[in-house]
Amino acid sequence: MKHTYPYPVTGLILAFTALFFSCERDLNELDPATYPTTAEVFIDAFSGDMGYAAFGGSDVRAFDVDTDVKYKGTSSMRIAVPDYDDPAGAYAGGVYFSNTGRDLSGYNVLTFWAKASRPASIDLIGFGNDLGENKYQAAIAGVEVNTNWKKYYIPIPDPSKLKAERGLLFFSEGPENGTGYTFWIDEARFEKLGTIAHARSGILDGADVTQNAETGNTFTIQGYAVANLPNGVDQRVETAPSYFDFASSDTGVAGVSASGVVNILDAGTAVITATLAGVESEGSLTIVSSGAPVLPQVAAPPPTVPADKVISVFSNVYDNVPVDFFNGYWQFSTAQVFDVQINGDDVKRYTQLNFVGIQFTAPTIDASTMTHFHIDIWTPDPVGPSTVFKVLLVDIGADGAFGGGDDSSHEITINSSMLATGSWISLDLPLASFTGLSSRTRLAQIVLSGGLPNLFVDNIFFYREESATEPAVAAPAPTLPQANVISLFSEVYNNVPVDTWRTPWSSAAFEDVFIAGNAAKKYSALDFVGIETIVSQIDATNMTHFHIDAWSADFNFFGVKLVDFGADGAFGGGDDVEHQVNFEMPAQGQWISYDIPLSEFTGLTTRKHISQFILVGKPTGANTVYVDNLYFHN
Amino acid sequence: MMYLNIKSLALPMTAGILPVSILLSLSACQADENQMLERRNWQLVWSDEFDGAAGDAPDPAKWTYDIGTGSNGWGNQELQYYTNRPENVAMDGDGHLVITARRETFAGAAFTSARIKTQGLFTQTYGRFEARLKTPYGPGLWPAFWMLGEDIVTDGWPQCGEMDIMELRGQEPNIVNGSVHGPGYSGGGAITKGFSLTDNRFDTDFHLFAIEWGEDYIEYFVDDTLYQRLTPDDLTGEWVFDHPFFMLLNVAVGGNYVGFPTTQTPFPQQMTIDYVRVYREAN
Repeated sequence: MKHTYPYPVTGLILAFTALFFSCERDLNELDPATYPTTAEVFIDAFSGDMGYAAFGGSDVRAFDVDTDVKYKGTSSMRIAVPDYDDPAGAYAGGVYFSNTGRDLSGYNVLTFWAKASRPASIDLIGFGNDLGENKYQAAIAGVEVNTNWKKYYIPIPDPSKLKAERGLLFFSEGPENGTGYTFWIDEARFEKLGTIAHARSGILDGADVTQNAETGNTFTIQGYAVANLPNGVDQRVETAPSYFDFASSDTGVAGVSASGVVNILDAGTAVITATLAGVESEGSLTIVSSGAPVLPQVAAPPPTVPADKVISVFSNVYDNVPVDFFNGYWQFSTAQVFDVQINGDDVKRYTQLNFVGIQFTAPTIDASTMTHFHIDIWTPDPVGPSTVFKVLLVDIGADGAFGGGDDSSHEITINSSMLATGSWISLDLPLASFTGLSSRTRLAQIVLSGGLPNLFVDNIFFYREESATEPAVAAPAPTLPQANVISLFSEVYNNVPVDTWRTPWSSAAFEDVFIAGNAAKKYSALDFVGIETIVSQIDATNMTHFHIDAWSADFNFFGVKLVDFGADGAFGGGDDVEHQVNFEMPAQGQWISYDIPLSEFTGLTTRKHISQFILVGKPTGANTVYVDNLYFHN
Repeated sequence: MMYLNIKSLALPMTAGILPVSILLSLSACQADENQMLERRNWQLVWSDEFDGAAGDAPDPAKWTYDIGTGSNGWGNQELQYYTNRPENVAMDGDGHLVITARRETFAGAAFTSARIKTQGLFTQTYGRFEARLKTPYGPGLWPAFWMLGEDIVTDGWPQCGEMDIMELRGQEPNIVNGSVHGPGYSGGGAITKGFSLTDNRFDTDFHLFAIEWGEDYIEYFVDDTLYQRLTPDDLTGEWVFDHPFFMLLNVAVGGNYVGFPTTQTPFPQQMTIDYVRVYREAN
């Protein structure tokens, strides 16, 4: 992604005046009462009234005069765009200005020739940036250049405005795909061309936009002008609001200033339109104002997730991580953010929200052990069938910086069925559903957007939802009559003697526990465990089934082995038989009643001297199993 | 306006037109001194002032249509589908006929436009043929006011002859071309000359495009300026301009002559025609 830079640029870190004097001009010729109409900006040198200033944050040495490469004459302007991360500056940008100001009203276009060391798209070239309010700034964006000289045209949206213009030429360009390059500009001058035709203009990209609003909202209208160039192609010019004359159909509902700022004053509807040089502009803004803002009457429900399972961005209930901003005021974002309190609870109030970025980079959030993203929202806005709310999470990847090819993000759209007007909505979004988020170890941004321009937000946090690690209820009590049962362990039956519930050769930890008041056996770190009845061997020849209840939050395998010591009633001796029945992917987090027909223990050919029970769990050594109600029955 | 597919056209013509245009435009300022125009007594014999109501079709007694995409884009790889819908050809109610080229999918084509002609309704041998019009603009737009020999249906093209009174490439909205095509000098070998406006363009105001055609001459005019005079000696083949011709008006999109429109070409585009008039020389 290409970096774009703020425009108009207001921070001027360093301005140096370049002394390019033209030999041809005698300052005594200038009439102090009017401004000169000099057309030339740079032919082979700068006109005598001019200076240069680099934009803040740019490489101040990016610009120089080049006598080797030129379109015509003896020299050209050379602009060296720095590489990404160049310590000298992040981009190339600056203004060529007139110290005196010029009357450019007799011209209709700024033209220049340009080429580049490689094909590129220059972010912005224009005029009207006067190091001040840039009132009459006009610029072409995405200027495609290649290694051939080509003539470029920036039509003046309304020349009559430029009676005393100081900003003659400015440019702003960052690295292309991270690398710098060089471009040259030559023969820059204002011209009056009869081959520039079909001028028109527009606001809001020429669209008729309807905007819901509340009293106190403000909107800034962006405009453009278009003229057809001598080659028949339309050229769009990003045009400062001051070129336009704005009008509101109801100034009691919405006023609009000369600089294109719309202020919402009361409930009602108002249509904002514009003209440029007396000609109607395309596009309009219809304000539908609901009047004074509507606020929630109650605070959001306080979250109940334990603090040790939460990474909180914004909540009164938790300690919050450092946040860079709750509104990045990004380009094209109209959102405003305010800190408000609802019944003593801090809430972020967003207005005019089209999209807004919340950023936390110092440090980023490692949510790799978290399972959910939570946010509480409240809106006074109507929720129609097509209304949506969107949450975008951004991870900046291993390089810990934006860009670099390792960023990832994913946006979840919440549709109208989940939204409501005038009530708090708690959204708990599983992080697993952010499938485009290839990592969440360096989360840096949350971007909110959608169709709810007025939004109150609270309790923004990530949390870990842990499934239960032990059963909340006891295993179901057996119902067979005692007479049909030989029980090893159950509170329902009389149990036969058991030598041990964990033989020394087992690979598991063992604990007697109570689940909801009911005794159970707990095996943790389970690989396998031996249970022995060697002293009182069990004769199960009249039995048909072996029963065991098992509960585990984390096993993915469970095995039950029965061992019969044979006629000699002792281990070994050549007559021992055994068989293991296996269960793959058993259900987790619930009691499973295994009632296994003894016929399935096919290797267990005798069962008069059953002496060992071996339970096996996987993942090997890393699972915990609760068991209850071990018995034979028929 | 060529009638058949000629491939090797764009480069040599462009190269030839530009220097000529510059010379002509320089001399245009002194037209009165340099031009020795014959005095001719023209009598109006046919005209269409296009005074219909907005949305009206052209007078069916005067104009008929070419519809569709022709053979191989009307012989030129043109991209438009010609229709007779009011969206493509209609009066504007202010005394003009408007031919509109649109970027829209229609019957498999990516553009629509219109081409009207007097074939079968009006033909004439010799005289003055003129149209006052404002051209469309933009890369790939190719408006034309031109004539074809009525024997095209029997003798074919280029034997029938073709006189192009006005052609323009939308990427050069300040240059028009006047040409003849005939046997031995057709397509890329047509006899042609450009006329350019200095610091102005043909799409911002109406201009009058005309030929005056006699037994042994064809003279090309833009407004009051004669910029090309052709006689049989100027041709590299047979002079076939001795029989009735009919007129055509159209806006093509794309094709060999003009190149393809680009994503930057503004649409829709209109050719606005104030009138078409035909005169015969009175004895």
